[in-house]
Amino acid sequence: MSPLQSLTNGFTTAIRAEFYVSLRTFGSKLIVLAPALVIILQNLLIKFQEIAQQTRDSLLGNNDFDAAVADNAYGYFVDGLTTGLTMLGLLLVAQAAYSFSYERDVGAARHLLIRRISRTSLILAKLFHIHVLALLALLLLFVVSYVCSGLLWEFGPIVEDGFELISEAEIRDEISLGLRLAIIPIPAAIAFGLLISVSAQSTTQAITTALGITLAIDIFKSTLGDMSHYLYATFQPSLLDQSYLQDVSRIVRGYSDVLVDPQVQELNLWVPWPALVLFLGLALVLVQRRKL
Amino acid sequence: MHDIALSISGLTKSYGDFAVLRDLDLQIQRGAIHGLVGLNGSGKTTTLECILGLQGYQGGNISVLGHSPDKLHEARGNVVGIFDTPSLHPYLTVRQCMEHARILCDEPSRSPEEVENLLGITRFSDFKIRHLSLGNNRRASIAQALLGSPELIVLDEPFNGLDAGGVDDVLQIISNLNSQQDTSFLLSSHQLPYLEQICSHIAILHGGRVALSDETASLLGHSVSTVLVKTDQTRAATAVIEKLDGCVLLQTDASGYLHVALQKLESATLNQALIAQQIPVSELILERASLASLFRKITSEDP
Repeated sequence: MSPLQSLTNGFTTAIRAEFYVSLRTFGSKLIVLAPALVIILQNLLIKFQEIAQQTRDSLLGNNDFDAAVADNAYGYFVDGLTTGLTMLGLLLVAQAAYSFSYERDVGAARHLLIRRISRTSLILAKLFHIHVLALLALLLLFVVSYVCSGLLWEFGPIVEDGFELISEAEIRDEISLGLRLAIIPIPAAIAFGLLISVSAQSTTQAITTALGITLAIDIFKSTLGDMSHYLYATFQPSLLDQSYLQDVSRIVRGYSDVLVDPQVQELNLWVPWPALVLFLGLALVLVQRRKL
Repeated sequence: MHDIALSISGLTKSYGDFAVLRDLDLQIQRGAIHGLVGLNGSGKTTTLECILGLQGYQGGNISVLGHSPDKLHEARGNVVGIFDTPSLHPYLTVRQCMEHARILCDEPSRSPEEVENLLGITRFSDFKIRHLSLGNNRRASIAQALLGSPELIVLDEPFNGLDAGGVDDVLQIISNLNSQQDTSFLLSSHQLPYLEQICSHIAILHGGRVALSDETASLLGHSVSTVLVKTDQTRAATAVIEKLDGCVLLQTDASGYLHVALQKLESATLNQALIAQQIPVSELILERASLASLFRKITSEDP
């Protein structure tokens, strides 16, 4: 058996074992469903608020002149994606941090490693599994946000004073770009969670550390100035959002003062990949040394 | 096909400055049931974890069915470990754990129903692992290890938490697997009478080394039985015992018991000799050579 074969021995078995547990436990379902459910709730609350506002305005005889622009479903669709991706990012980091540390804590990882699976395969299988969960969650997020926004508001171009400022095709292009740039850092975030999972002494420590660092980066990245553009997490939709998707939300509402530096967009495209390789490499090295 | 199921030579393991294992050597023949005993903290679990590749070691060589511990997965299920702490997914049911373990077997030799029945946990099939008692949790752990046809089973404290029936079941399963499928076992336990009953070989771990390792029958055969004699004529009895061949007076304890090691003598002969000298014997207690007595003797010595 070659060294590479030995390292990746049991990879498919590891994936089957991961999915077997995943389909029968709650955590994975939460990751896939929770962001979509939150978007539904968010859109419903906004709609109720709007209806109340409109009722109040019509009773008082006020006329909101930006209503037509604000009511464009694309704005709510992007808001939903931003909220969902913010939540999904945190959930994925937490799940990655939980995945290995929990199996080590309860001893379940021992059976896998003794019988069929190399440590490398186990980590790679977890990485693959969480990516599949992320993909499912993203698909559901996209569909739910689109359907929900479409049902409650109307999709259309940005029109002001009878002139079409931004066509639907342009809006879709911007959303597509914003979404792509927001998704690119996700693998690095998952690999970061796995690195913490492998390094931590317990499940609780792994989750609190992974989430703590993620939130701390969120707070402190603005203090890093231009240096923050070399941090994968800068481009993730987050609680203190700096991602391009946040700007897309303004663009599709007709704001013309959005200016995104093309160089920053370039960095958004490639910075998360070396981060992913670094985190994964460290996780794979550390897992070989861990007592299980 | 290797004749040796497990070979350890010069195993060294330290936690910081504390050396747990110092130049440990051990060999387990294929088809043997090898017991590993030692005081608390003597390094039994550490040894098993090193064997199973769950933790690294500083020096020495380990070969498990011809595989190095860090590549044990290449043995493809021929080695399994059952641990002293529960090690199944708490949120899966017993049946789901069995199905999960089947994924790890190339060719499962038994069905989940079969192993559950074998361990008497059929009625707990739909119970989540976290809802099981410690004993049933252990049964489930053993059950999932038996889905394949492992050549070597490593068990750490297999009798912990089991009731008397459970212990009998486990002893029976070990015995059956060993006799029918030539499965080798390495058992670490503090339950010396059970080990004495089931093990073909015993190794006593003391001072970070294997202080003694041999066939159980041979170890016990070389050990002497002891008799405790109580009489009100201690001085006369001592004189008689010292003149007798095949026994040695070890000590007279504070309660007045004479401790006599029987080397070539039966306890009845000793009794007869004392009576012949008009020495009344109020108590004569035979302490047969056992693993427990041998263990106490070995572990009471300085390593």
